[in-house]
Amino acid sequence: MHSYRLGAIGIVTTFFIIIFSTVLLPMVLFNPSDKEHRSNDYTKIPSNVADAARGRKIYVREGCFYCHTQFTRLQDRGYGPLVKAGDFIWETPHQLGTARTGPDLTNEGGRMASEWQKAHLISPRAVKPGSIMPSFSYLSERDMNDLVAYLQCLGNRREVHSFVEAPDEYQKTTPAGMALHNRKTVDTAASASANAGRGIYTQNCAVCHGLEGYGNGPNATSLEKKPPNFSRPYYKQYSDEFWFYRVSEGVAGTRMPRWTEVLTEEQRWYLVAYLKTLPQDQEITINSLKQIDKIEDVRLPKLSNQQFEPHHGGHGGHGEESEGDNMSPSEHGSHGSTPAPAPSASPSTTTGTSTESGAAPKEGGH
Amino acid sequence: MIGGLEFSMPDLVKNVPQLAFPHMRMFHVNAVAVGWLSMGYVGAIFYMVPNLCKTKLWSERLGNMTMWAWNLVLVGAFCTLVNGNTEGREYAELGAILDVMVAVALVLVALNIYMTILNRKVKKLYVTLWYFLGSLFWFPLVWIIGQRTFVALPGLNDAIVGWFYGHNILGMWFTTVGVGMMYYLLPRLTQAPLYSHGLSMLGFWGIALFYAPTGTHHITQSPVPEWLKAIAIISSIFLLVPVLTVLTNFFMTMKGRWGQAVTDLPLRFAVTSCMFYLVTCIQGPFQATRWVNWYLHFTQWVVGHAHLALLGTFSFILTSAVYYTLPKLTGKEFYSQGLIRAHYWLKFLGFLLMMTSLTIAGLIQSAGWAMGIPVDQWGLQIRPYWFFRGISGIMIVLGQLLFAYNVWKTLYSKPAASVAPAAKAAEVKA
Repeated sequence: MHSYRLGAIGIVTTFFIIIFSTVLLPMVLFNPSDKEHRSNDYTKIPSNVADAARGRKIYVREGCFYCHTQFTRLQDRGYGPLVKAGDFIWETPHQLGTARTGPDLTNEGGRMASEWQKAHLISPRAVKPGSIMPSFSYLSERDMNDLVAYLQCLGNRREVHSFVEAPDEYQKTTPAGMALHNRKTVDTAASASANAGRGIYTQNCAVCHGLEGYGNGPNATSLEKKPPNFSRPYYKQYSDEFWFYRVSEGVAGTRMPRWTEVLTEEQRWYLVAYLKTLPQDQEITINSLKQIDKIEDVRLPKLSNQQFEPHHGGHGGHGEESEGDNMSPSEHGSHGSTPAPAPSASPSTTTGTSTESGAAPKEGGH
Repeated sequence: MIGGLEFSMPDLVKNVPQLAFPHMRMFHVNAVAVGWLSMGYVGAIFYMVPNLCKTKLWSERLGNMTMWAWNLVLVGAFCTLVNGNTEGREYAELGAILDVMVAVALVLVALNIYMTILNRKVKKLYVTLWYFLGSLFWFPLVWIIGQRTFVALPGLNDAIVGWFYGHNILGMWFTTVGVGMMYYLLPRLTQAPLYSHGLSMLGFWGIALFYAPTGTHHITQSPVPEWLKAIAIISSIFLLVPVLTVLTNFFMTMKGRWGQAVTDLPLRFAVTSCMFYLVTCIQGPFQATRWVNWYLHFTQWVVGHAHLALLGTFSFILTSAVYYTLPKLTGKEFYSQGLIRAHYWLKFLGFLLMMTSLTIAGLIQSAGWAMGIPVDQWGLQIRPYWFFRGISGIMIVLGQLLFAYNVWKTLYSKPAASVAPAAKAAEVKA
């Protein structure tokens, strides 16, 4: 009898120690707060349009989280900003998910047009061939709209303020990078330097990248991995160091060579100066002189696929997830042109033709 | 158990685009966990414990009551989950009423068993009883903590508790009861003494110590505290200790008697289960380590691993228990040996096919994620494996249907025992 009692006490103690260390202790010690206001804001979409908080309940009810995760990991490319502990404090029950049978939805909001999302829910394969997502056409109009509103709210306060940077040895933070900057004699902001770079570009780069940097040089047709389109807003965010790094070291897995073998350091800096002047797609024009002086915080493309995977994005299925609203300082939810899920929208939006233009909502009326 | 079976097994065909797959998935998990495995386990416990204690079950009425409660829960689960009435917590989807019912039923089962053991006629506790005692103490607690029925924890804490529960329903219930059953069945079936009682105790305390904190290894890449992840990963690796002691014990018990598995069908199920246990437990710590997890997490590999544990290991041992106990309880031979054979091969081969296709699909997915290739591109690559998985699901369901038919035919003259034969019949005998 004695040994039995000892054993029973042993089991009880063991179990409580474990509960304490792995269940209670985290509850006490781990209390992240949302100081940076990065958690999803479900109130952003006006309640007369759709109810995103209710949409969350539908997301839970329909069990979306069995196939879609809601946390980005360090190694995930193309899923937007990394999550932090405070991002989840209002998320209960948690929807982190366990398996990614479909894409991660952490920062899904604004990536596709609401019409697209709705069409995709109704008939996934009509807008995304090869998808194995089940159809949720049995949802009522209201459920569907709320669910889309929820999806459009995901990650709506996780803004991107920094980009992929060149490796440390190109940054001033390291001795090697400092030495590089000390050796640099070219003013990459000067138009004279850009002019000097133009010739280098024409001789070496244009054959693939095209004269205007659209990625349409004659060689491009024969390349399996197409050269990028430098007119995309994404490339306007590149720092000098990043351009320099890319030019110098090339892009692994593509035909982009390591130009450090061919061009001198000075030549590469001239090239950088020129690359920065390449035209941008859908350049914003102004209506009055007043707008010129306004210093605007250039918002990075909100939740774009390609900002973490910039290279050669033009091919393949994700090309359409473009970084449309780059220059729009407004949040995606408040695009005048794309009110989130329009409740009045008839189910005929299932045509799916909105796919291509989907995420590039009209650049706020200009 | 036929009830549990009919509900649970068809869902294994969770396949390519299936209407309302998420609902099916919810019910699949719950039916397998609560319906098939738990019900079968409790049935087996009700049989084995009185046998080992050489005494009667403390209260047969209570036993009957819990059996009905459990079946009721399952019907409730079917009605709610398929309609999407879920709490939205993986493995803990059941609604509040059902949560409470399961908890009450569990506590009553535990009470029943504890009282039975207190009234035992044998002085020494066999290791199986240790396992059952531990499990019946842990599991109600884990269940109550894990369901989070009446609390709303902030997101990540919710996830921590969720995975504490999600992993421990396996670790402190399926594994411990399953291993306890292996300890009971292997020596009985082979007519050989257990190799070492000392080792068996080491295994038991090892699992008691190291299993519970491992849950966080499911979220090693989410922003939860690093120390918690470290505890989880380290104890996952330490789990190799109890696993290897347990399996050494089993294999040494089997030494010189492997040939029996050819002719003895329940033993064949049990041995297969041990083999899969070895594989799943080597896999587990391996994929819990950070860098492997980095690569494999979120993919079908993990799904394969989960099926290896629940289907390969614990479902097999449970089937073995049923095949062993049922003739003893009813005093009749099984209706058809051929059907048992067919069941074994369908389940075994079906499972191998499922495991292989899931693992390959998982590796393709991992490669896709690691290379940053969008889902729509590698999604097409794994379609053949979904297909094979579907086939394997059909094979397994077919096997289980044969099993159900066999059990039904065996029991045919006993209409009273039709709903949950093992549990019910155990009470009849005891």
